[in-house]
Amino acid sequence: MKDLEKSAFWKKNSKLIYLITAIALLALWRPHAILYGIQRGSLYSLIGLPLSLTLGVVGIMNLAHGDFLSLGIYVSYMFFMNLGVDPLLSIVPVTLILFGVGVLVYKLTITKVLKSGHLNQLLLTFGISMILIESLNVIWTSRPRNVYVPYASSSMTIANFTFGTYELLYVLFAFAVLIGFQLFLKKTRLGQATYAVGQNPRGAKIVGINIGFVYLVVFGVSIAILGIVAGVMLPRSSIFPMVGAPYTMRSFCLVAMAGLGNLPGILISGIVLGIGEAIVQSIPGYSGWSDLVFFGVLIAVISIRSMRRLAL
Amino acid sequence: MKTIKYSVILLLLIAAVLLPVFTDAYFISVAITILTFMTLSLSWDMMLRTGQLSFGTAGFFGLGGYTAVIISADLGVDPYTSIIIGGLVAGSIALVLGIAILKLREIYFAITTLALASVFSVIIRNLHKITGGPSGKIVYQTLFDYDSTKIYWLMLGIALGTIVISELFKRTRIHFAVDSIRADEVVAKSHGVDIFKYLIFVFVVTSMIQGVVGAAYAQQYGFVSPESTFSAHYLLLPISMALVGGIYSTIGPIVGAIILGLSSEYLKLMMPYGHLIIYGVIIVLVVLFIPRGVYGTIRDFISERKHR
Repeated sequence: MKDLEKSAFWKKNSKLIYLITAIALLALWRPHAILYGIQRGSLYSLIGLPLSLTLGVVGIMNLAHGDFLSLGIYVSYMFFMNLGVDPLLSIVPVTLILFGVGVLVYKLTITKVLKSGHLNQLLLTFGISMILIESLNVIWTSRPRNVYVPYASSSMTIANFTFGTYELLYVLFAFAVLIGFQLFLKKTRLGQATYAVGQNPRGAKIVGINIGFVYLVVFGVSIAILGIVAGVMLPRSSIFPMVGAPYTMRSFCLVAMAGLGNLPGILISGIVLGIGEAIVQSIPGYSGWSDLVFFGVLIAVISIRSMRRLAL
Repeated sequence: MKTIKYSVILLLLIAAVLLPVFTDAYFISVAITILTFMTLSLSWDMMLRTGQLSFGTAGFFGLGGYTAVIISADLGVDPYTSIIIGGLVAGSIALVLGIAILKLREIYFAITTLALASVFSVIIRNLHKITGGPSGKIVYQTLFDYDSTKIYWLMLGIALGTIVISELFKRTRIHFAVDSIRADEVVAKSHGVDIFKYLIFVFVVTSMIQGVVGAAYAQQYGFVSPESTFSAHYLLLPISMALVGGIYSTIGPIVGAIILGLSSEYLKLMMPYGHLIIYGVIIVLVVLFIPRGVYGTIRDFISERKHR
């Protein structure tokens, strides 16, 4: 009996164990790149998780996802500059503000294109993305800004191996958000309703779930989560209107890698992508090419899936 | 009725050709910009007619521009040939990419093409020796030596060529294939339409047009750089023009380009920095309230009255 359980456990988790072994082996080769990759990958998955939720439940690809992140970072920056609020503390008000913005955007625009096909939805969120980028550009100009807090540059040394400790917060937050999402979906009534809507909106409607409300909450929460990311990112990144835009593509790449509705998969693919980028970046002379890794991964994933004739 | 239609088209054509004779240099430069974006807008709409939303416009535009400037600066190819080669290079890269990404549908295709402009600009930024890296590349012998009248005629020629191709797409067999793919892919497939072949064909042709426009545009100024050449302008403006005019038609993007092109001059004077916000707002408002655009709405209104 025990053997059976053991083999079932092995079967279920064999891929994950292979992955961990591969990462551990790579870590012996390039330790810095791996650690950096894990930190960066956690940031990607932190941003990708809410996108995956909107895409899976509401069925809308939000092309303005990264730009809402930029907005959050600027709001957090304003809190820091005008009121002296620590970036990590500003997470609370920024999350609330972004939730409000998300609800407003949903009520004013998204709710009107829910039934009108993917073309209009994409164009709409593309328009919203452009409005956000250009507004940030007008209000705060394109001059890059930086925030200094002493703890952001702290580091740690273990046996000749020095690394920045602040970025480990990304990993912490990524796990926290993932676990929070899972608990929400499995344990709460609203979460169960969300799950049902994601599986079959019509069926959910028939059993009496208020679909509109679920959509509203999911969209609002997915924007609100970006408030957390904004607060965590602020001390370590320079701020300009396009700061969040590249994350939209990477988040989408994670969703394509993990498949819709696979939240733990987002974290794993995020870390894989982060390590891939970090390894390319660690090769001398080729660091500039690391921005292409996600595209290569996207094309590879797509080709593999289409070869297997799996409908994406 | 038909003779009236043809004579109106002929008159408009003569007016367009003779425009530089009557107007001043400022208006000609506005007209050149309008023609450039009109062609991009039309080519974007041609791809859209297959039901696939492509965000690759800026990417292929920049690719054409870079190709033209590089071959005329380094290999000494004359500007006119370089424009054609720019289009061919954009087309052949579209062919290779299309084989990989045209297997995708809906959001997956749209988002992969959205990445193209940034992917191309990263590649170009990293190939220092050929492309000049982040600082860009200059060619000293510009097209027609800044003679705006001749540039106007060249852009008009490209725009007219695109209009003809667009009309050919609407009137030949391709039209049935394209419309049936957009309406219902499974049905189209089961009726024997080779979906993949037609999608690749349309994707390559539209990318070639975008490459040619990009090459002509870059040759006018003799300068390319990753930021300016792959700018989101060349995606945002064509899309908003086509949407305002009305998608799935030849006249729609033309009307949209003229409306937005003229009003953007006014907007630039009113608000020098933030005028791009207006384009975003236009896209959102059109999608929400008049998804058929100006031309589409008027056309539907007229045909409704006729049937009454």
